[in-house]
Amino acid sequence: MIVVHRLARLLVVLVVVTFLSFVLLNLLPGDPVTQILGLSATEEARAQLRRELGLDQPLLVRYLDWLGGLATGDFGTSYITRMPVGAELAERLPVTLELLIAAQLIALGLAVPVGVAAARRAGRALDQALTALSFALLSTPVFVLGVVLILLFAVTWQVVPATGWTPITLDLGWNLTSVILPAVTLGCGQFAVYARLLRTDLIATLQEDYITLARARGLSPRRILWRHALRPSAITLITAIGLNLGALIGGTVIIETLFGLPGIGRLIVDSIFSRDYLTVQGGVVLISVGYVVVNFAVDLVYAAVDPRIRRA
Amino acid sequence: MRRRLGLGFWLAASWIGLVLLAALLADLLPFPRYDETLAGPPQSGPSAAHPLGTDGLGRDVLSRVVYGARVSLGVGIGAVLLGLGIGAPLGILAGYRRKAADAVIMAVNDVAQAFPALVFALAVVAFAGASLRNVLIVLGVLGVPSWVRLIRGATLTFAEREFVLAARVLGTRDRRILWREIVPNVAVPAASYAFIGMAVVVVAEGSLAFLGLSVQAPQPTWGGLINEGRTLMETAPHVVLAPSVVMFLTVLSFNLVGDRLRAMTDVRESGLEPVRPAAAPALPAAPHPVHDVLLQVEELRTHFTTPRGLVKAVDGVSFTLERGKTLAIVGESGSGKSMLIRSILGLLPGTSVRGGHVYLSGDDLTAYGPAEMRSVLGLRLGTVFQDPMTALNPVRTIGAQVTEPLRVHLRMGRREARAEAVRLLASVGIPDPARMLRRYPHQLSGGMRQRVTIAMALSCRPDVLFADEPTTALDVTIQDQVLRLLHRLREERDMAVVLVSHDLSVVARWADEVIVMYAGKVVERGPAREVFARPRMPYTEALLQAAPRLTDPVHHRLRVIPGRPPDLVDLPPGCPFRARCPYARDRCATEPPPLFEDGPQHHQYACWFPRDPAPAEPGSTNDTAHTRADTGSTSDTTPTRPRPESTSGGAGPETVTGDAASGVESRGR
Repeated sequence: MIVVHRLARLLVVLVVVTFLSFVLLNLLPGDPVTQILGLSATEEARAQLRRELGLDQPLLVRYLDWLGGLATGDFGTSYITRMPVGAELAERLPVTLELLIAAQLIALGLAVPVGVAAARRAGRALDQALTALSFALLSTPVFVLGVVLILLFAVTWQVVPATGWTPITLDLGWNLTSVILPAVTLGCGQFAVYARLLRTDLIATLQEDYITLARARGLSPRRILWRHALRPSAITLITAIGLNLGALIGGTVIIETLFGLPGIGRLIVDSIFSRDYLTVQGGVVLISVGYVVVNFAVDLVYAAVDPRIRRA
Repeated sequence: MRRRLGLGFWLAASWIGLVLLAALLADLLPFPRYDETLAGPPQSGPSAAHPLGTDGLGRDVLSRVVYGARVSLGVGIGAVLLGLGIGAPLGILAGYRRKAADAVIMAVNDVAQAFPALVFALAVVAFAGASLRNVLIVLGVLGVPSWVRLIRGATLTFAEREFVLAARVLGTRDRRILWREIVPNVAVPAASYAFIGMAVVVVAEGSLAFLGLSVQAPQPTWGGLINEGRTLMETAPHVVLAPSVVMFLTVLSFNLVGDRLRAMTDVRESGLEPVRPAAAPALPAAPHPVHDVLLQVEELRTHFTTPRGLVKAVDGVSFTLERGKTLAIVGESGSGKSMLIRSILGLLPGTSVRGGHVYLSGDDLTAYGPAEMRSVLGLRLGTVFQDPMTALNPVRTIGAQVTEPLRVHLRMGRREARAEAVRLLASVGIPDPARMLRRYPHQLSGGMRQRVTIAMALSCRPDVLFADEPTTALDVTIQDQVLRLLHRLREERDMAVVLVSHDLSVVARWADEVIVMYAGKVVERGPAREVFARPRMPYTEALLQAAPRLTDPVHHRLRVIPGRPPDLVDLPPGCPFRARCPYARDRCATEPPPLFEDGPQHHQYACWFPRDPAPAEPGSTNDTAHTRADTGSTSDTTPTRPRPESTSGGAGPETVTGDAASGVESRGR
């Protein structure tokens, strides 16, 4: 029942969003024909190419045609490269996903222990340091942070390459060195958000009666923090992770540009420049599906974390 | 104002002002124009002529950063004003009108938020041209959904407030309400979010510029400068660092200003500044004998340093307790009962200072370190709190919670602990205990939860059970069951029980000994039967008269204790109860009464003018019984005529009753 409901919602979101972006892209000036043939092409050549590409059809027909293809798993063929869009996306997606997962692991791996430690001694030195650090990190644009990190680790100390990408299938070690700096850059801002959220919620949880009673039962602070307080304090954090993942599937373009990574974000930007509508459409589909899938996953995690949510 | 906003706020505001001023006056400033090549040697570091050095074409970096500020700040301020201009009216409409308008606006808003903003921004800027105006419009429009949500939220909270509802009831026109009541209140949070919004827009514009999608060269932008500079990172890092640092400081300043403005309007955050524990010396205690009893509390004190002053929450409490006995601690809310329990158990917040001694079988618990204390808590001292709804961890199963002390303290294995947990739950009268272990607290009723917390408190067979108002949050019928259970368990296990309550009927029935607390002090103490039959302290007498009885006539008006418990900050000298005491005289205002003792039963009381030890008739409505107190009295604090208001039942005194008295009253009905 819930799954059916979710699927219906996914389809609605997908159709609305892809239609809007289809219209938007077609309304804007410039088209693939000019992009392919150049400005000097004759009108006959342009018309013929239009027919070949199907661009002479009305907008709605083209959209429905594309949507029909999508239903059978066909993302269409790029006007510009004449390559299947699906294959291009499949090649780019793992890069973005690996970047995202690595960034989340770094952010959470730091944020949970730091948030717990800051909440345990709220108002003390560590807590105040975390407040200042997270404020600074939240005020650092990602490309500024990336530039500084490249300057330090790639240019000055030369421990990792500044740019470039080695696929995981080629060499795991090189793959990791090429993902570590972009992942840290992306993860820093999220670390700040996550640690702040967790700290605030934990401090609220630690005021609860059941925590005082756990202390009255002679349990150690460590046990109380990790086993009793962490889980009830995690809801806001999980929401934030979900929102982040949803937003980042297409939102890592800056990082991908800065570090020269062939990811989805870069693909969408390049395709917009080259008026490669169908590739952009494919990217939009991925973003929308990712958005809904992440939301669904977040609901499942909610239920696992808090039994009070399970009833519905 | 200045003090509350803090130094950081003013530094940040000054930086924003400085950048803004430089951007406005860039043409007048004494440096080369941003596009003048070879103003100095290319890629030279900072020097007197070029404070931030030059870039690859020999252009002055400072000049380029200052001109870049025009774009960043222009777009930042412009886009926020645009987003606010569209979003605020929609948000106020959605929040105030609710229903149809709200539904439509929020539905459109949801779709707008699900749409990939990046694609939108990129597409528009890429196709429509990367001019200052287009970037400003795109970022402004992208901000509208957030503004609608924020303003709607702020409006909703005010639309439900009393002054707006009152205006609506009075028939004030909607437009007038909006302008007079809503807009001024929404303006404050909106202003703080405007600064945070500018930070967001400056970053967004920088991102677009970094991708080459903002204002085009030769006009410099911060994001563009950083993008250009990174190609020179190895030879001339200052070219990329200068705009990076300026951008960071500017974004930080916008965030800081917005955050401080928000904190100023947010009552919760500004009112609850964490209090540093004062480096007060441990409070000394007078020498005393250590008795051979189970629990001995000697001159226990708990003081808090608060921003308003020193609060003596517990002030010199002593008692002893033997096995198999129940000690009741009674008093109004705020009298220090619960704090006394927490003080004995060492469960105090960091802002408190504890003094005195707590002996458990002769060992001084106040000398224990945290680890030693944990070996006593739960194992020898069990605790039950007032509200079973909050006493259990909502995300853990009953089984995990009940078995935990068994496994931690008694080192039982998983299976053994489960078997013991089943026995425990059965012993507190829980049906089908094996199934109960798999349940979560929200699946249980309040009475069942309290039985579970009692089972947990008893799991390691403690010597003393502390029950802090264990039945207050329960239905009357359940209350009785739980008290009987506690009594039975005390008998079975030969425990001692410390029962905190403001419900005198509970105390009279189950306690062996009673301590009456007022303003952190013991004001009366003795065997329960004796204290209730012959209260000596006027406060105890008043408490007894405030308690409802089944023998009262149907329309009998309950007496209440006039006045409120005193403010514990800077308690005046003398007897703390004198302001509410009908028998107070001059001496009560100057000298605090010590604990007197009389009779063979060690009945103690802190009063200069105690009530007659002759058997009194508690609950009597006859006022003449008390008039003996005004024989020649010349008290200057309260009228000497004893409590005419408590029998007249006028509305005036009743509205200012202490909360325990009114609590008793409501519970009695």
